[in-house]
Amino acid sequence: VTGVDVLSDRAAMAAAGVRRVQTRELRRHLLVYLGLIPFILIAVFPVYWMAITAFKSDNDLVNPAVFPFWFHQSPTLEHFTFLFQHTYYGSWLYNTMAIAFWVSVITLAAAVPAGYALARLGLPGAENMGIGIFLGYLIPPVLLFIPLSRVVSMSHLIETKWALVLVYPTFTIPYCTWLMSGFFKTVPPEIEEAALVDGCGRLAALIRVVLPVSIAGILTAVIFAFTLTMQDFLYALVYVSISDQKPVPLGVATDLIRGDVYFWGSLMAGALFVGIPVAILYSFFLDQFIAGITGAAVK
Amino acid sequence: MANVELVTGVPVARRESIHRQRLRFGYSLLAPAVIFMAVLVGAPFFFSLYLSVSDASVGNPVARFVGLQNFEAVFRDSSFRQALRNTVVFTVIAGIFKALLGTLMAFLLVQEIRGKKLIRSLVVLPWTLPVTITALAWRWMFDSQFSAVNWVGTRIHLIHGWPNWLGEPGLAMASVIAVNVWRGFPFAAIVLMAGMSAIPLEIIDSAKVDGANFFLRYYYVIVPIIAPILLVGLLFDTVFTLSDISIVYLLTTGGPEGSTEILPTRALEVGIQAGALGRGAAISLALFPILLPVVYLLLRTLKRREAL
Repeated sequence: VTGVDVLSDRAAMAAAGVRRVQTRELRRHLLVYLGLIPFILIAVFPVYWMAITAFKSDNDLVNPAVFPFWFHQSPTLEHFTFLFQHTYYGSWLYNTMAIAFWVSVITLAAAVPAGYALARLGLPGAENMGIGIFLGYLIPPVLLFIPLSRVVSMSHLIETKWALVLVYPTFTIPYCTWLMSGFFKTVPPEIEEAALVDGCGRLAALIRVVLPVSIAGILTAVIFAFTLTMQDFLYALVYVSISDQKPVPLGVATDLIRGDVYFWGSLMAGALFVGIPVAILYSFFLDQFIAGITGAAVK
Repeated sequence: MANVELVTGVPVARRESIHRQRLRFGYSLLAPAVIFMAVLVGAPFFFSLYLSVSDASVGNPVARFVGLQNFEAVFRDSSFRQALRNTVVFTVIAGIFKALLGTLMAFLLVQEIRGKKLIRSLVVLPWTLPVTITALAWRWMFDSQFSAVNWVGTRIHLIHGWPNWLGEPGLAMASVIAVNVWRGFPFAAIVLMAGMSAIPLEIIDSAKVDGANFFLRYYYVIVPIIAPILLVGLLFDTVFTLSDISIVYLLTTGGPEGSTEILPTRALEVGIQAGALGRGAAISLALFPILLPVVYLLLRTLKRREAL
């Protein structure tokens, strides 16, 4: 047995080892994919069906003789044009954006300073106060919508989108305070100490030094203020009934149904038109959302 | 300037005033959030306690104190009792399915595979879509005539006939539970995944070295670590489920014959649509004893985790 033989034997064994690892990897991949396929189908199918419905002409939609999950007449934009020409959909979009904007402004004005105070200033009882504010997130709208209806009608904002601007911060402020407080804990304290030594007041140090490095956290808070307001249905249903004042979710769910007649094409078109962008935005920030609600311990 | 002096040693009185100044600054930063929450969450909560013992209605601004009459009337009402029962059944059954499916999916999703990111963004779609839109989509999926569920189900021989999902009591309950599970299980999975990726690999490796096989490892090492995380996810989800009205309201509006009525929809009907604010408040408050242990447990678990 020559040295060359030994070497080539070893090479062959090594190659067999690599192959074994490769087949094992392949098998593992196949198993995992096989397990995930039902989940993917279940998650995606209703959304796919919405999308098909939104682009199908009405005749095609109600034809029982054909395979429903594909087009048998050419796809159409008629449901979208109907939305914009014959309903308040344009106003609903505007209302949704206006509500999101003002809710974000109110939320940031309250949550950023509160989050900073809880995270940094070593206030006695800060932890309990933080929990107290977060409790607001856990007291659901269901417990509050009846008493709040009195508050809203006293404020003369009832029936308009401004009622929602008033009440939505009740769940965005607690969440965003919690989020910002977690974020400020990650900002190194040295940078504001340096600013304080340089003669800045605490407020100036916060505004000029801490906030500029916290843009990412603030942006995240804005995204969540927006996506959380999109999740509401109850408050909108109870406080807003004028058609052109509704946000998109409420408008689509109430104005596109006449008695027993559902305008499915336009319903799905209107729902998807905002649903998909919100879903995409949300899934980008999903990890931060989870980290935000489960606290810093779960990263 | 003040802080420089602090370092070099300053009179006690001076230091105290700096300390007080910092506290004042801190509390004034907290004030907007605390005041807003006190006025729009705290006060309304106590106001609803007051409403529940009054005969307040939408048209009648001057309310009389009626003691526990509202609660008595509410508990005598069989549709309230049905709503209470449905709320518990709905929450518990949906919770079990979300835990099972969520755990299974989390274990699949933590595997290192190609296309993991894409797959994850697809399977979380149910959770990231606004819930109103989800509810509308499923209303269409369960449509009595054009149900996509029936179309697929009958062709793969899972469903016989053409069931009217939202029109029959038992099926309607199953449908709203299914939609809640569809929406909620990705959340359970994502919370679990976040928790699992925080498990130090050394712990699992050391268990391997100690000769633990897969099942032992699973039982003694992974379960004790992920169980509290799953608990946090489920408790959050319970709060969301108890407070969500859109799935039931948009799918069945509590029908047929009250078979899917839950406390939130009942409170909406009585308190707002019928205008009996006092009685509606009493119905909402019936959720409170259910919610309280959930929230308490949640805060305790979160607090303990943070201490670790």
